[in-house]
Amino acid sequence: MVDPVNALMVFGFIVIGLTALFITQKKIVNNIRRTQNDKMKMHVEDALKHIYDCEYKNMGCTLHSIAGNLSISSDKAAKVIAKLESLKLIMNDPDKIKLTDEGRKYALQVIRIHRIWETYLADETSKDELEWHDDAELMEHTISSEEADRLAASIGNPLRDPHGDPIPSETGDIPELEGQQLNTLDEGDTARIVHLEDEPAAVYKNLVSQGLHVGMDITVNKRDKEEVLFESEGVSRSIPPVYAANVTVVKFEASIKPESYKKLSNLKIGEKGKVIGISKACRGQQRRRLMDLGIVPGTVVSAEMVSSGGDPVAYLIRGATIALRKSQSEKIYIEERLSEVSN
Amino acid sequence: MSENKNKILTTANNLRWKVADDFHDSLMESLYLDASKIAGLAISKTSEKERFNLDKKIDRLVTNRITGIPIMFLLLTLVFWLTIVGSNYPSAMLASFFLDTVHPWLKEGAFTIGLPLWLTGISVDGAYLASAWVVSVMLPPMAIFFPLFTLLEDFGYLPRVAFNMDNIFRRVGAHGKQALTMSMGFGCNAAGIVATRIIDSPRERLIAIITNNFSLCNGRWPTQILIATIFIGSAVPAHLAGLVSAGAVVFVAVLGIFFSLAVSWGLSKTILKGEASAFSLELPPYRPPRILQTLYTSLIDRTIFVLWRAIIFAVPAGIVIWLVSNVTINDVSLAKYFIDFSNPFGLLLGLNGVILLAYIIAIPANEIVIPTILMLTVMVTGIVHVGEGAGVMFELESTAATGDLLYAGGWTLLTGINLMIFSLLHNPCSTTIYTIYKETGSIKWSAISTIIPIVMGLVLCFIITQIYRIIIM
Repeated sequence: MVDPVNALMVFGFIVIGLTALFITQKKIVNNIRRTQNDKMKMHVEDALKHIYDCEYKNMGCTLHSIAGNLSISSDKAAKVIAKLESLKLIMNDPDKIKLTDEGRKYALQVIRIHRIWETYLADETSKDELEWHDDAELMEHTISSEEADRLAASIGNPLRDPHGDPIPSETGDIPELEGQQLNTLDEGDTARIVHLEDEPAAVYKNLVSQGLHVGMDITVNKRDKEEVLFESEGVSRSIPPVYAANVTVVKFEASIKPESYKKLSNLKIGEKGKVIGISKACRGQQRRRLMDLGIVPGTVVSAEMVSSGGDPVAYLIRGATIALRKSQSEKIYIEERLSEVSN
Repeated sequence: MSENKNKILTTANNLRWKVADDFHDSLMESLYLDASKIAGLAISKTSEKERFNLDKKIDRLVTNRITGIPIMFLLLTLVFWLTIVGSNYPSAMLASFFLDTVHPWLKEGAFTIGLPLWLTGISVDGAYLASAWVVSVMLPPMAIFFPLFTLLEDFGYLPRVAFNMDNIFRRVGAHGKQALTMSMGFGCNAAGIVATRIIDSPRERLIAIITNNFSLCNGRWPTQILIATIFIGSAVPAHLAGLVSAGAVVFVAVLGIFFSLAVSWGLSKTILKGEASAFSLELPPYRPPRILQTLYTSLIDRTIFVLWRAIIFAVPAGIVIWLVSNVTINDVSLAKYFIDFSNPFGLLLGLNGVILLAYIIAIPANEIVIPTILMLTVMVTGIVHVGEGAGVMFELESTAATGDLLYAGGWTLLTGINLMIFSLLHNPCSTTIYTIYKETGSIKWSAISTIIPIVMGLVLCFIITQIYRIIIM
């Protein structure tokens, strides 16, 4: 008979080996894909994206900014620029790198695929927001624009990606940049978040963990060198001004105040409320499901009972008793509590 | 013409940016507004207040923090108890008819008309016996369990169970309704997997399908009880035997629930990330169950449906079982070759070659695993006066006699423990695998549902065996 101690040891080694393989597997697969995809093509496309982004935001674009953005050496970046020039995708003026019409078209195509893929991930999968970007970075070089068009059609030709960036149309149309950075707002200003920059990832992660999302209305309470303090959805939040620069907002006219609202999750058993809307953070299938159930502005909803575990809570919605989880009910906005509303 | 078309398309594209991003939402809102206006004109409400109040009272009781969970356990235990107790007698009756009366009669008939021996073996001892066995052990429990379960569903109680249990299932990335498909799986995994249709979120439904096999099904309860009585019961003092072996069976079932939740969690964090997820759970009003309709639908849709699939798979398996025991090369049967070959591997896992072969050839239904093991054990050990001959499955009247036979086959307490674990953690029966394929339409998910439990079973048996040997030696 096999000695049990030896058997266990051999087994242990196999498990460690497999785990190691599993952890490195993703990296290996990515590397293989990259070499197959031709690294140069990837760099060219990424560089085009970066130059386009600079032009869109009216910032200067240099060899160094390209090297930094693509995480490659300056030598390598110079090669990429030379390649772009030889393909007639850019014009290299002595002081500034500019896209040709051909180059702009190409850049918009790559951006379109990237943003469509992010929208697809946000709407039709359970991947969380921190994974969207990296996944899309890979896909934009992998799928063809015809495949992207089909994908876009299948998710209803979205206009904007989940970060609020406009998705270029098939013909390459894209609207003007709008809004201003959050750190340029004054105290007392009210505004709506229209864009969250997803690079660098660390900053984006912080913004997401603070609960920020596109479509959120905010009121700035305080702004100084250390922090931007603002209120939204009844909660006070604070972020460093550097981080706030990655949030784009559109200011409301001074006369307009964002509506004051509660969340459905704030309702106590027996209370009623009128739905104002569903948060933009609730997307795709989940959003459609809630609307199918009749959660649209004007619907009166009452909290009926709590399950024995505390979550979910059952609500009476248009004559049907529907259980919703807390993660859903806190994304549904209602008017101030109405103790007695006639149905 | 095409110039005009392009012009229109360009205009439309430019206009798109001017439409608000949420025009789909606005569209939906206006639909609801119109619908409720029309409904308001046409519908007059009669007072339904009283019904509603009764509903509320029941709901308060069954979703209560203190009484909710105990009521659920009581009701489900009652259903299982009725199933086990209620199916004993009809099972015995069916077995005595199909196996003890019809089977000898068929054999005699085959002999009279001069059928060659091998043909009688394949058709009567193989195909007929396997399918008759499946019917007699599967039909009664299902015919009791499914109607009872459907009654609870029809009454409106089961959605409340899902409501109460959702808290636990949410934490592992699953849907509260998985509590129901899991319970259904305790009756039959194939039926449990069909029942996952009630889960209307793609990711959660796949989780429920893949993990359903961790619910100890009807076909495995008798195996657990038999092995626990023989090996675990005899390892403790006689007056504790009943309690300890019952405890061991319950432990295995609870272990199954634990694995079900653990694997759900693992799946939702890894391979099922790419699937969409949308939660909603309707709690319909209570209503008096419609007994006749329930009986009809649960018997036709669930019982007969599953049974038919099981029979279809039992026929070829019965033929294979007979063939591997009777086809010989150099006077040694194929079964014996395989058993001798796989025995070292089986012993390393604390099982043996007979068990491995039985689990492979008895794949159509867990119910015929023990009869196959007994037949193979007799064949391998060469014991005479027991059993019905090579390739003919049988069961012994008394547990003690079964125990003696297994001990003679070289079984120990360790084999017993491992068989109980392996019976919980192995590939789903072919009926279930086929049902998974039908429900998901995907070879990938069917393969994953098959591979995950069997790998877990092999690994767990291996670890238990090594630890047991280290402790005992």
